[in-house]
Amino acid sequence: MARAGHLAGRRARSARAAGALTVVGALALAACGSGGGGSTDADGEATDLECSTESVADEQWKAAEPREFSLLWTDWADYPITDSWEFFDEIEKRTNVKLKLTNIPFSDHEEKRSLLISAGDAPQIIPLIYTGEEQQFAASGAVVPLSDYADYMPNFKKYTEEWDLVDMVDDLRQEDGKYYMTPGLHEVSVPMFSVIIRKDVFDEVGAPVPETWEDMQKGLELIKAKYPDSTPLADGFEGGAITNYAAHAFGTVAGWGFGDGAWWDEEAGEFVYAGTTDGYKDMLTYFNGLTEKGLLDTESFTAADSGGGTVTEKVASEKVFAASGGSWTVQEFATALDAAGVTDYELVQIAPPGGPAGQMVEPRNFWNGFMLTADAAKDENFCDLLHFTDWLYYNPEARELIQWGVEGTHYTKDAEGKYTLNPEYTLKQLNLNPSGTIDLKKDLGFANDVLTGSTESIELKTSYNTPAYVEYIEAIQETRTPRDPMPPHPLDEAELEQSSLLGTPLKDTVDTATLAFILGQRDLSEWDDYVSGLEGQGLSGYMDLINGAYERANS
Amino acid sequence: MVTQSALTAGPEAGGGKPVGPKDSKGYKAFTWFNGTFLVLLCGLMLYPFVTVLAQSFSSAGAVKAGLVNVWPIGFNLDTYKVVIANDLFWSSYKNTVIYTLVGTTIAMVLTTLLAFVLARKQLRGRNLLIGIAVFTMFFNGGLIPNYVLIQTLGLKNTMWAVVLPGAISVFNLLVMKSFFENMASELEEAAQIDGLGWWGIFRRIVLPLSKPVIATMILFYSVAIWNDWFAAFLYLDKQELFPVTLYLRNMIAGASSAASQGAAAAGSTKEAISANIQAVTMILTIIPILCIYPFVQRYFVSGIMLGSVKG
Repeated sequence: MARAGHLAGRRARSARAAGALTVVGALALAACGSGGGGSTDADGEATDLECSTESVADEQWKAAEPREFSLLWTDWADYPITDSWEFFDEIEKRTNVKLKLTNIPFSDHEEKRSLLISAGDAPQIIPLIYTGEEQQFAASGAVVPLSDYADYMPNFKKYTEEWDLVDMVDDLRQEDGKYYMTPGLHEVSVPMFSVIIRKDVFDEVGAPVPETWEDMQKGLELIKAKYPDSTPLADGFEGGAITNYAAHAFGTVAGWGFGDGAWWDEEAGEFVYAGTTDGYKDMLTYFNGLTEKGLLDTESFTAADSGGGTVTEKVASEKVFAASGGSWTVQEFATALDAAGVTDYELVQIAPPGGPAGQMVEPRNFWNGFMLTADAAKDENFCDLLHFTDWLYYNPEARELIQWGVEGTHYTKDAEGKYTLNPEYTLKQLNLNPSGTIDLKKDLGFANDVLTGSTESIELKTSYNTPAYVEYIEAIQETRTPRDPMPPHPLDEAELEQSSLLGTPLKDTVDTATLAFILGQRDLSEWDDYVSGLEGQGLSGYMDLINGAYERANS
Repeated sequence: MVTQSALTAGPEAGGGKPVGPKDSKGYKAFTWFNGTFLVLLCGLMLYPFVTVLAQSFSSAGAVKAGLVNVWPIGFNLDTYKVVIANDLFWSSYKNTVIYTLVGTTIAMVLTTLLAFVLARKQLRGRNLLIGIAVFTMFFNGGLIPNYVLIQTLGLKNTMWAVVLPGAISVFNLLVMKSFFENMASELEEAAQIDGLGWWGIFRRIVLPLSKPVIATMILFYSVAIWNDWFAAFLYLDKQELFPVTLYLRNMIAGASSAASQGAAAAGSTKEAISANIQAVTMILTIIPILCIYPFVQRYFVSGIMLGSVKG
């Protein structure tokens, strides 16, 4: 507990530091002026670059001459990078590109990244960028508008079209009509987090695997009747995870997925604030109902999250039978249950239950991608750099190389597309071929956390996952619909600042009230007071800002 | 020194009465209460440490299931073997030792010299110099300007980026200055009459008489440098230069912020490093600094109080 508090304090401090960095960085860069690269109206036109070779989608690209590009490498403590990693040799062999790395520790990588970019000292390629994170850098011109160079990224172009992601990419455009990062592309939309249930216990009390939140409540009630001491449902992420994936079923956004709070009201044809929608109220009512019946582990909604530690403990002691998590959480729960001496359990990650809005899940076709710093555009081999990053992030063979290593040397693929590691190799993280002695990730640098998982076809996604997770993917594909992405409403630099001034206190109010309503500290009859409280905090001005940006983008 | 002051302060704090005989009832009750209270407080402080120690000897499963409290469950030394066999841990450890030794040496030389000079009342411009030093306590250029400065000076990715910027802590400087100021000026005068120059006075008279404050300052500086990760985090981009604190922070905060990462990125597939490895790393990291305390402790109270109270 003491440790968790300590860490939470540190996190709060580093969050403040990050905030400070952003502001200072924006100021520093506002002075530096223009963004890199040419200015164009349509994508890829009027920016003629000199290229050493052609790049064609799905084909191996190789620079005509040896090149060196710099890349920001995030280091995880359990997989420290070494000079001997074959990964980098193999990349150099295939592309003639040597990567020069700047190492930053994962613990504070966001702060360090901001610092490096703001100080103009960042390497050319910035990986691990999630959508939205590029905004602050884009507004100050510190990164390259990649949309100007889309023609130099044939693989990216091909797969956004093939996987029907062009509209979603358009949503990445900033106020100037350009996008500054290209995300990792996923052929299928699979929510990372959902509910992990003790299926054996659901079976035991005669409850089916929940398809809707209503089913879930019935199941939890049956479990509670059988195990009166339990509070069967927990979150472990301060409610951020469960409200995130549940919100789609209630027709709203919440928790981690709350974003700027803008929710597209189809009927009204304008954005409304998600925290004031009926869907949001329905969701709160539902979870509050669970609290009142003693079905919700309220502690897990308030304790600072330490990676779900306390929830894991409760799962082990059989006080919790359903909790938020991802595929890796299943393993964590299993380890804890084993240690506690529980046998014959069956843990299943189920597709997020549906609700009044239908069997909806979040659209999550994008994963982390990359940005290029403005300095990169000044590199005389900029075209090669674009070709290289395009190959690295979107070429299927490159993705296969990153995940699995070299075909023949490290693994083999049979006629049905099943991947098997050669006997001497192992990938302990995924428990593949545990008897092997050389770890693909730790010893050779493949399957590293910086580049792996970014872009994935269905084939690649299913190639390394457990059968249980493949089932989860299939269940999602067959029975769930991804919510339509919101229409783009890019803000300009001044609006961004204003929206963060207005939006932050609004979101704080929503977060606090959400917990209070769910945990029953505040009665839902006070909903109108809560909404008028938001109005008093300048909600209408905030929504005007967003709707104004939407109209501008669509005029 | 310590016990004496506690004894004289005790009865007053206990009942506000004048100092009575040692065996009075009120005094006994107070000592009893005082002892119990301090033991409890001590336990409160020690508890997290003991838990981490117990975790370091426990099995990963037991730690994860939350079974470990103050006594190891599934006792084993394997975790220690794993951590001790980790080259990166030891290379970071070596860096920390070097940074601490070099950093403390530089800091002590600079702080002592400056404090000695500033303690001379006859020094012209003394107030201005003190003012400049104090100014830096309240104002600084900010993160990015500092970063750019270090970068332009060519200190980035060198040990100097870690040991130089914090070489003079103004707080330590002021404590030391007032310590020197309170030294009997007659000693100096006598030394001058006997023909010693300033350098001689400093080396032969002042330094030997300043052991308490010097020991305290060594402790302050070395603990600060040993524990510091932020400077290294800012100015070092190469793993082989990282101190052990940065390694530890990456291991612990990195693992547990997988959850907070989720908030930004809606999830991360990182599995956490098992808690017992974290515990072992923590224990190994704090051992040297724990060892310094008992040796410096006897100077500690007198060292920090001497300068401030008198005068």
